[in-house]
Amino acid sequence: MKYPILFLVLVVAALMTATPAPAAKVTLDASEWGHPEGDNCISCHRKASPGLTEQWRQSAHHAAGVNCMDCHQADPADVDAMTHEGQVIATIVSPQDCGRCHQTEFEEQAGSVHAEAHVMIDARVPALAHQLTGAAMQAAGCDQCHGSRVKVRGDGTLDSATWPNSGIGRINPDGSKGSCSSCHGRHAFSRAQAREPEACVRCHSGPDSPDKEVFEASKHGMLYKAQRAAMNLDADTWVAGQDYTAAPTCVTCHMGAAGKIPATHDVGLRNVWSLNTPVSMQQYLVVLEDGAKLELPADSKPPKRGTELTKADGTTGIVKVVAGPDRRRQIMSLVCLECHSKTFTASFMDQFDAVVELYNGKFGEPAAAIMEALYQHQLLTPLPFDEPLEFTYWELWHDEGARARHGAAMASPNHAWWEGMYLVGRNFYSRFLPQARAVAGEAAGELIDPVLEASAHHQWLAQPEAANPILGWMPPPEPELEPEPEPESEPEAESVAAPSDAEADSRIEAGGDD
Amino acid sequence: MIKLRAPLFITRHVLFALVAGSVGGVVFMFFLLEFDHFTSSNEFCLSCHSMTYADDFYRQSVHYNSPSGVRASCGDCHVSEGIIMATYDHAVGTKDLIKQLFGPDYDDPVVNALHLPEAAFAARDWFRTRDSATCKRCHTQEAILGTRANTAAIHQEDAQGKTCIDCHVNLVHRPVPERQTFKREAWNQLVEEEFGLEPGRAAEILAEP
Repeated sequence: MKYPILFLVLVVAALMTATPAPAAKVTLDASEWGHPEGDNCISCHRKASPGLTEQWRQSAHHAAGVNCMDCHQADPADVDAMTHEGQVIATIVSPQDCGRCHQTEFEEQAGSVHAEAHVMIDARVPALAHQLTGAAMQAAGCDQCHGSRVKVRGDGTLDSATWPNSGIGRINPDGSKGSCSSCHGRHAFSRAQAREPEACVRCHSGPDSPDKEVFEASKHGMLYKAQRAAMNLDADTWVAGQDYTAAPTCVTCHMGAAGKIPATHDVGLRNVWSLNTPVSMQQYLVVLEDGAKLELPADSKPPKRGTELTKADGTTGIVKVVAGPDRRRQIMSLVCLECHSKTFTASFMDQFDAVVELYNGKFGEPAAAIMEALYQHQLLTPLPFDEPLEFTYWELWHDEGARARHGAAMASPNHAWWEGMYLVGRNFYSRFLPQARAVAGEAAGELIDPVLEASAHHQWLAQPEAANPILGWMPPPEPELEPEPEPESEPEAESVAAPSDAEADSRIEAGGDD
Repeated sequence: MIKLRAPLFITRHVLFALVAGSVGGVVFMFFLLEFDHFTSSNEFCLSCHSMTYADDFYRQSVHYNSPSGVRASCGDCHVSEGIIMATYDHAVGTKDLIKQLFGPDYDDPVVNALHLPEAAFAARDWFRTRDSATCKRCHTQEAILGTRANTAAIHQEDAQGKTCIDCHVNLVHRPVPERQTFKREAWNQLVEEEFGLEPGRAAEILAEP
């Protein structure tokens, strides 16, 4: 070689400028896959189920030599193992199975809000899915997003009340939680597909978490749609600001690598607020020794390392690491910085936080306090959804309130306002309060009014004379020439919260009696 | 002139015995044929109450209800062809009768369901050792076309070296896992749930003599 040193320098330079791989590479030795029986599966399944076979044939799995048996093989002792053409296999490929190769992703998603999606609502599901409607809705509705607790029947078949299911918090026969195919469509497992916003749409759409609609109506969504061709979706590495700059998708902000921020399969890691609760809370992310995770309200002291905490499923774990809201916000903001300035980012977050705090202070907290008082005084039965007010309250925070907060979080003005906070306000003043007053009856002055008086948010109702042209009518200008004598004592509304009965009838409550 | 003459040992008694034996043999063969035929019929099999549970699932299957009206009887699948093998199968099958009379109370639906898996495993073994011969009474592998695009190709290319029962289990009777992945505790639980029994009751019933 003529210039060995130059060559060496060039090689080192090339290595140094090479992009670091943000997605975890499979470290398992290639000899661990390529099951000898895999070819036999294909021979028959390309005829029996050509669709899924062809999807696999065009996949990166196929290119790497990963076949049916590598994912579907099972131990005869597995509860869902079945004998099929002489092989012992299982239908469900759980995150634990995928984790044989994709260990990092398996560990990251374990304990995430995604993996815990079934456990988190387990106790609440019967109220809507069994009582209000019927158990069939759990299989077709709730569980399709939150995941089912898959039941293997004694004859080895999967109970149709719990499967087919690829809900993201699925509790699998092997005990692992989650479903990779919730986002990674079988059997192609295309990375481009998983990076698309559509990977999230099956669940993150609709009245309570309209993230699809919010994204599409945002500037981010606008740019994504216009510049999708420049998204480099099929790239090997996909670091924002490096491999693509055209627009962010859901993955970009919530999971993706950006600058020095590594990718993560813990989708809730970067979220400061709980946005789908009656009142939003800033939350610690607590990682336990066993890899499980918890979110705890940030208004209390952070749990100390080494202390024992109870998890959502009732088991306990030891605290390993705690990430506070600031840390979580910092990580999310670092993604923003790939395209936005620091002040832009910080100010956007201020706008978002202000909406959440407004929702909390003006609607979420008062409504929760009023409901609690009505329950405590047995003016409402403990049974949910047997009284109209309970639907009104549910929609206030679960649908309209969530929409407002999600809209602000992801910059869709329409969802923050018309589809969100406007409806929250309309509901609160024209449905929730009148119904709550009707339920409270004579106790309204004791249970409802003090809650409203406690905050300045509702003072505007105390000025019924404050006109505005928005509804097309303004009081005629008062004649200036002949000033009339002052009336003796205009009965002032004593307070917004305690108008006289007659006044209330003609005002808020009249409109709300639906 | 040739004179046909019976050998000396053919006495009158021998002649009588031969004629009687021949006639008796023919009668016996007719009897066996009729016996095998009768004991292969659904009516005979279902004369034991315990068999009515197998019948429930059979009646839901396409082997009972085919659009063409072809109906496979118990014996069509479970008794071999030919008088010798049919008689043999029935002879071996008498152990079922003995168990029915002196064994567990198979007439009890719970006992029946609990013992079903072993019966299924034995039946599958029976089909496998005979290369699914009774299936082939009606089904000719080369002629299977199916209604889907590639059923014919699968039966010609991928079914090589396999016998019908290797793939086509749980076709007629109540589905039971294959022996290799069968789990007794899970099956017991299934039966307990189905009949509203206390957990653990199934194991007790199985332990009863």
